[in-house]
Amino acid sequence: MSIASDLIRGHTDTIILACLMDEDNYGYEINKSILQKTDGRYELKEATLYTAFRRLEQAGHISSYWGNEMTGARRRYYSITNSGSEAYRTLLSEWKNAKEMIEELIKVKENE
Amino acid sequence: MEDKLHRYIESIFEDTTPTKKATELKEEMLLNLQDKYRGLIEEGKSPEAAFNIAVASIGDVRVLLRQLEEDSHLQPDAQRLEKARRKSAMLTSIAIMMYILAALPVIIFETIGNGNSEAGIPILIIMVAAATGLLIYNNMTKPRMLHKEEAKIAEIKDKDEENEYYPANPEGRKMRASISTALWSLITVTYFLVSFTTNMWHISWVIFIAGGLIESLINIFFAAKNKGE
Repeated sequence: MSIASDLIRGHTDTIILACLMDEDNYGYEINKSILQKTDGRYELKEATLYTAFRRLEQAGHISSYWGNEMTGARRRYYSITNSGSEAYRTLLSEWKNAKEMIEELIKVKENE
Repeated sequence: MEDKLHRYIESIFEDTTPTKKATELKEEMLLNLQDKYRGLIEEGKSPEAAFNIAVASIGDVRVLLRQLEEDSHLQPDAQRLEKARRKSAMLTSIAIMMYILAALPVIIFETIGNGNSEAGIPILIIMVAAATGLLIYNNMTKPRMLHKEEAKIAEIKDKDEENEYYPANPEGRKMRASISTALWSLITVTYFLVSFTTNMWHISWVIFIAGGLIESLINIFFAAKNKGE
C-alpha cells in the first residue's frame, strides 16, 4: 500500500486538476471524491492537498475564491484556469506514455 | 469536540506569522476538518474516533508551514518584524545606558557628600533593577520570529554550545537567556554594593570569577536536563 501511495503521490497535481476539470470544488469534497473513486483505498493527506493547492495557484493553474454556501458555511473553492487545463492535458499524455513504457518494461513472458 | 478541532488547528498555526494567507489557510483547513469530522460522525463513528481520524488525516504540515513562512517574508509583515526589532534594540540600549549611569549617583554623592557614597547606593540598585527588568521584559516579549533568527545566528556561531547547553525548545531557550541576564545583573549590583560599603576594591572583583563559575554550573544543569529529555 505504501509503495502504491508513493507512486500516486507523484501525480497529486494531475489528480487535483482532473477533479477540477468538471467543476469548481473545495478541499473536503475533492478529497472525498478521491476516496470514493479509489474505493477508500487512497486519500490525500490534508497537508499534501493544501501544499498542492498553493503550488498550483502560484503556477497559475488554478484560482480560488471564497464561496457562500446556502447553508451558511464559508468554503474556499478552487477552479481550473486555461493554463491549468493545458497542464492537465500535458500531464495526462505524459502519464499515458509512462504507463505504456513501464508496462512494457516490467512484463515477463510467461508461456515460453 | 468541535472545539477541540479548533484548538488543534490553532496549535498547528501557533508559530506562523499571522499573514492574510496564513489566516485564510487556517480557516480553510478548519472548515474542511469540521466537514470531515461531521462526515465521520454520520458514518457512525464515536466522537473520539472521528476526532482521531480527522486529525490523523492532516498529515505532515511542515512543508506547508515552511512555504507559508517563506511567503510571509515577502509580505508587509517584514515591516512589522522590523518594527519589533527596533523596539527590542531600543529597550536593550536603554537598559545598558541605565547600567552605566547607575554608577553616577554613587560618584556624585562621593564628591559632594564628603565621602558619604552610601547615599547613592539605593539609587544604583533601583536603576540596575529597572534595567534588568527591561532586559527580561524585552527577552520575553520579543516576537518568536526574532528569536528564531537569533537562534539561527547563535547556531552558526557556536554549534556545540547551542546543542549541549541550551534547551531545545524556544520557551526553554528564553528562560535560559533570562537566567543569564538576571545572574550577571545581580553580580554587578553585589559587586558595587560590597565594594562601596566595605571598600574592599582590591579583592571584591573575585565575584566575577564566581559568576563565571555559577554560569558554568547552570550550563551543566541544562546540559544534564537536555540529555535527560
